[in-house]
Amino acid sequence: MKVTKAVITAAGKNQRTLPLQTLVDRDGVPKSALAILAGEITAAGIGEIAVVVCPGDEDAYAAAAGPFARQMRFIPQAEPLGYGHAVHCAAGFTGDDPFLLTVGDHLYTSRTEKSCTAQLLETAEAGKCPVSAVQATHESKLPYYGSIGGRRVAGSERLYEIETVIEKPTPTEAEQKLVVPGLRAGNYLCFFGIHVLVPSVMETLGRQLAAGRADLSSALAETARRERYLAHELLGRRHDLDLHYGLLATQLALGLAGKDRDEVLSLLVELLAQSNA
Amino acid sequence: MALLDLITSPDEAVRNRSLDAACADLPLDALLAEADALDDFRRGSDNLYHRVRALLFLHSIHRFHLPRLLAAEKPGAIPFKGYENLLERRFEEAIDLFLKQQRESGPGDAISSALAAAYQKLAFQTLADQVRRSVRSVSGNQWMFRMGHPADQPLRLRKELLVRDPASGLYPVLRERTPVRMDLTHCGWSDIFFLGMDYPDGAKVLNISVDLAVHGRDKEPSPPVEASLRVIEQPVLRLTSVDLGCTAEISSLNEVFDFAKDYLGLLKAAVIASGIVPPGIEGSGQSLADLLERVVGPGLGLELVSNVNNIPKGSRLAVSTNLLAALIGACMRATGQASSLTGGLAEDERRIVLARALLGEWIGGSGGGWQDSGGVWPGMKLITGTVAREGDPEFGISRGRLMPNHRILDHDDAPAAAREKLQNSLVLVHGGMAQNVGPILEMVTEKYLLRSEPEWSARQETHGVLDRILAALKSGDVPAIGAATMENFNGPIQTIIPWAGNLYTQTLIDKTRAAFGKDFWGFWMLGGMAGGGMGFIFAPERKAEGQEFLQQLMSETKRTLAAALPFAMEPVVYDFAINERGTWADLLTGSEALMPSGYYRFVVPTLLRMDRQQLGAPRLAELDQFAAACRKRPDLNGMVQKLFDSIFPHSGENSGNRDTLDALLAKYGFDRVMHEQIRDDLKAGRIGLAQNRLPANSVIEDVRESDLANSANLTAAHRERGLKALKNGEVAVVTLAAGAGSRWTQGAGVVKALHPFCKLGGRHRSFVETHLAKSRKVSQLCGTPLPHIFTTSYFSHEPTRRFLDQHDQFGYQGPLLLSEGKSIGLRTVPTVRDLRFAWEEMPQQTLDVQQQKVRDSLRTALIGWAESTGEASDYTDNLPQQCLHPVGHWYEVPNLLRNGTLAALLEERPQLKTLVLHNIDTVGMNVDPALLGHHLESGAGLTFEVITRRLEDRGGGLALVNGHPQLVEGLAMPREEDEFHLTYYNSNTCWIDIDALLAAFKLTRADLKDAAKVTAAIRALAARMPTYITLKDVKKRWGHGQEDVFPVCQFEKLWVDMSQLSSIQTRYVAVPRLRGQQLKDPAQLDGWLRDGSAAYLESLCEWE
Repeated sequence: MKVTKAVITAAGKNQRTLPLQTLVDRDGVPKSALAILAGEITAAGIGEIAVVVCPGDEDAYAAAAGPFARQMRFIPQAEPLGYGHAVHCAAGFTGDDPFLLTVGDHLYTSRTEKSCTAQLLETAEAGKCPVSAVQATHESKLPYYGSIGGRRVAGSERLYEIETVIEKPTPTEAEQKLVVPGLRAGNYLCFFGIHVLVPSVMETLGRQLAAGRADLSSALAETARRERYLAHELLGRRHDLDLHYGLLATQLALGLAGKDRDEVLSLLVELLAQSNA
Repeated sequence: MALLDLITSPDEAVRNRSLDAACADLPLDALLAEADALDDFRRGSDNLYHRVRALLFLHSIHRFHLPRLLAAEKPGAIPFKGYENLLERRFEEAIDLFLKQQRESGPGDAISSALAAAYQKLAFQTLADQVRRSVRSVSGNQWMFRMGHPADQPLRLRKELLVRDPASGLYPVLRERTPVRMDLTHCGWSDIFFLGMDYPDGAKVLNISVDLAVHGRDKEPSPPVEASLRVIEQPVLRLTSVDLGCTAEISSLNEVFDFAKDYLGLLKAAVIASGIVPPGIEGSGQSLADLLERVVGPGLGLELVSNVNNIPKGSRLAVSTNLLAALIGACMRATGQASSLTGGLAEDERRIVLARALLGEWIGGSGGGWQDSGGVWPGMKLITGTVAREGDPEFGISRGRLMPNHRILDHDDAPAAAREKLQNSLVLVHGGMAQNVGPILEMVTEKYLLRSEPEWSARQETHGVLDRILAALKSGDVPAIGAATMENFNGPIQTIIPWAGNLYTQTLIDKTRAAFGKDFWGFWMLGGMAGGGMGFIFAPERKAEGQEFLQQLMSETKRTLAAALPFAMEPVVYDFAINERGTWADLLTGSEALMPSGYYRFVVPTLLRMDRQQLGAPRLAELDQFAAACRKRPDLNGMVQKLFDSIFPHSGENSGNRDTLDALLAKYGFDRVMHEQIRDDLKAGRIGLAQNRLPANSVIEDVRESDLANSANLTAAHRERGLKALKNGEVAVVTLAAGAGSRWTQGAGVVKALHPFCKLGGRHRSFVETHLAKSRKVSQLCGTPLPHIFTTSYFSHEPTRRFLDQHDQFGYQGPLLLSEGKSIGLRTVPTVRDLRFAWEEMPQQTLDVQQQKVRDSLRTALIGWAESTGEASDYTDNLPQQCLHPVGHWYEVPNLLRNGTLAALLEERPQLKTLVLHNIDTVGMNVDPALLGHHLESGAGLTFEVITRRLEDRGGGLALVNGHPQLVEGLAMPREEDEFHLTYYNSNTCWIDIDALLAAFKLTRADLKDAAKVTAAIRALAARMPTYITLKDVKKRWGHGQEDVFPVCQFEKLWVDMSQLSSIQTRYVAVPRLRGQQLKDPAQLDGWLRDGSAAYLESLCEWE
């Protein structure tokens, strides 16, 4: 399975401006968040990117994408009908191909040479099946994420066969349905924000839309019921720009993971010393 | 075969053999060796149920089998340190100390009694710990114990509840209505967790969800319990129990975990068990407002209201558990833990509500059976124990899972017609009795684990009964159901626990059968024991008649037995309907978003007294909507009048109690001057619990063998002499029957003497009848009727007189007299000093962790009550009878002199020389000719009977006090441990030489006619007798079967202190335990029946 297309969603009413923010990337170059994300995607070998945006945001996004604008197309989400609908807006773009799905307000830092996107694509291509990136998450964060239940793939440290997907579960439900052996008590595998999905997901979303409202987690739950669907606990971290101080934390993470690490550390120490004074 | 084989054998038949049978023929040495082997085994075994069975085997050996063989041995002593360990629940340490003592001093009755108690407590502690661990480890419950900070709280309130209606201004109300449950089989208590978890195959019940109405009061059956939840604009938890009339705004986490502070324990347990305030956050020092902000939103809080539609407590329909489940259900729906916000619940949601209800019961320090949340499920269901499989938290620890399985019966299992027929035949009632079922559940567990015959066979029979009921249900054969439940009650249930039935229930059954003949199809006992919730099955055409008949019969029978049995309320008949929906929620919005009507009756008066500005917009909007609803909604008809009545209570409503109390005090010669003196002394600290004690420098030692005689050494000559005196009419019996038996009914205020405590000679017999039967037998033996006197008090006199009249004095042929008490005291509110002394200075039985928390919280509340009511002020806030107290049995003997009873008897039989005085509960005593002969021959003025001490015999004993033998009351012991050096315990049976007694009063027989002289003599001697201050638990009943227990203060003078007088010669005689032991607590009855005491008593009685 070769993945050549990616979909970035950026149409959420509170998230529209976040991908446009400028940050300094790991190489010390100021870029928009969208450009950093697109850079990671293209570096992993994907040539076509669709960005789902609010109608009217196309130009601003094209400008923010910089050199990657050429590989991008912008798909407006005509009505704010939720995340599942936003993803489905790209159905025409993905067609019969598998695709990478990510969100415009998250950036990722990897703990290895390979980027998070590259790690995930490698797993999908080797496993020939859809894969979602996951991260062990404390139960107190359950109200923010989709979460999976499953079992570890034999012989693999970080791969799981997904059995069920529940969007924002309560801890009660999580404890009953999502406990994954091997994780620390009170921790669950929650979505990381990157998935490699297959056309059937778009079909399910389409059916859901026809019936009323589309919801990605339940479409993924159906995928898990129907076919082999893996979760990969990536060696990396996600950074949510939308959190309180999210931009600051993301910038620090990029700085500390990149070539300017010493400079950033000195800056922090200096700030600390000054604030104590 | 070794006893261990009964536990470890791979052969089930061997494991199911009865311990009693295996021990029956073992000699002392062999039995002791078996006990050693069992103790070694239980220390090493990692199998929970093996350990528990071994512990209960050891208990049984030390309680029943060794005492039989040790009768001739030295009684021995119990180390006080071991006793302290026992009280502090350090059972292992206690056992080690007791075993050390046994090794060093040899086996004995005393040490065996201590070991028996320690092994039993450890067994039940082990079981309870296991259940608790399982409750915590049920999946879906665990996360709540990990959560210790508001920032970790993952629950969020559902959005639907956060939107105020723009028109009415009200937040929506989530209302959960839940049926209660009936158990159609009475399962032989197989729903006790311990049984279900060890014997899942035997744990089966047929459980039905029902709606109820009180017959003649309510229009139609409705779900009896409901919970309502809504958002409020204050960062607090506002909890209201409409049924208990209690509300509180809780603003700190500590208050949430303070269960006994008020009547809101159940609501608090629901808030905790549902995870809104998870148990893990207790004691974290965090803020409740922060936690609520996380769950509900900034500045917001929650209001939770419980409402029981006037169904009384103790109905045996699991009202409290289902209310807890309803509250938890509402909280879980509101926080998204059940996906269904409204309507019914899915099976997995019901199971998690059950798991949380179990957790809530544990948190609240109570505990029901596993079928009790049955009302959450719809219709009829078969609930069965389930074998633990790999992956279950119980796997490898217990055979069964904590959580049972529920199979809802479909219309093939129980066709609609059959359900209809059952409803048309069954009359459900609440008999009005309230009893503590706790001891029964322990007895059942113990008998199961010991595989006692015939209880084990009876348990097997109950399975057959269930199958028959299921088959009859399928075929719609209601008479067969009636026959099966009746047979179950008469057979297996009462075989397993004879105390499940009682005279009241038996009377109802007998009279119903007599009135309805073949149209009465059967009786059916609900839940733990009879007397509360019960069912009577009639031919359908006579059901209506049966309802009226039972209402009348129960009320009449209650009137007859009210003084003898603990009734908590007037009996009621229910209308009921099977609820086919189970628990059900609605979201009330707009102008409908109101709480139950009773809530407003309770809170509106307070709101009206507040400044309008203080109320806030949502409260004002609510009052507007409520006012509008009162005008429109038929169910709120008359509400305005009720509100008016709440705001302005009828004048004089509460003055009646005081009038009656004053009249009673006047009637019984209340000594106001002495009372004021006692109150002043109490307040000033001159008297009190601490001052009861002998001076700390008193030397208390055990008596020497020469200080007392032993009945085992009495001879035929003694017997001859006694018989001769009896024949000559020189003896009379005096039974002390003035008291309420506080421990017997936990302060319910019934006359213990009249309590039909046991089936003897084929039917229930009261203490009075039993004592008369013994006197009858002695009269027949000696050929002269024995005079029998019962001393009474303000409290017991009229009921006892009526009771004897109703039963034609039980055909007693000798003189039967009542000596009416002429002394009365008025109880006072205790001082905080005495409460603290009782709870902090004296050794206390520490409870299991959660129960102890509840008790500590209750005690804080009671100290607050004493302070706010006024320390040492008169206790008048209860029924008059509960405010008065008898002033101790010392007065009962002088009363014989003062009220003319003795003078009259002496006139009739001047040869009368000896009185035998004894407690009402010393059932094994009789006028034994040999003991009488011994007393006469010794020439003593008083001869007290003592028995060798066991662990449970607390309250003083025979001691050398500064070298002089005398009986020392427990209250007077300078140090707790002194009592543990004493071999003998006072049975309080006392042979009295009348002339020596009169001499001690400085009176002669002739003086008895001079009332003034007698009164002066009594006052003079009374002044020399110590006065003890005691705390007694008194029940205050209110609402529908609710009871509160208050510790109140009273004073007493006790007969044992006569042994201190030098002016009357006192001697002591040791008698066998069967003769001298007392029945103080109904929980003793089962052991008393099993250890041969009951059979011994029967041998002393002649019933006709």
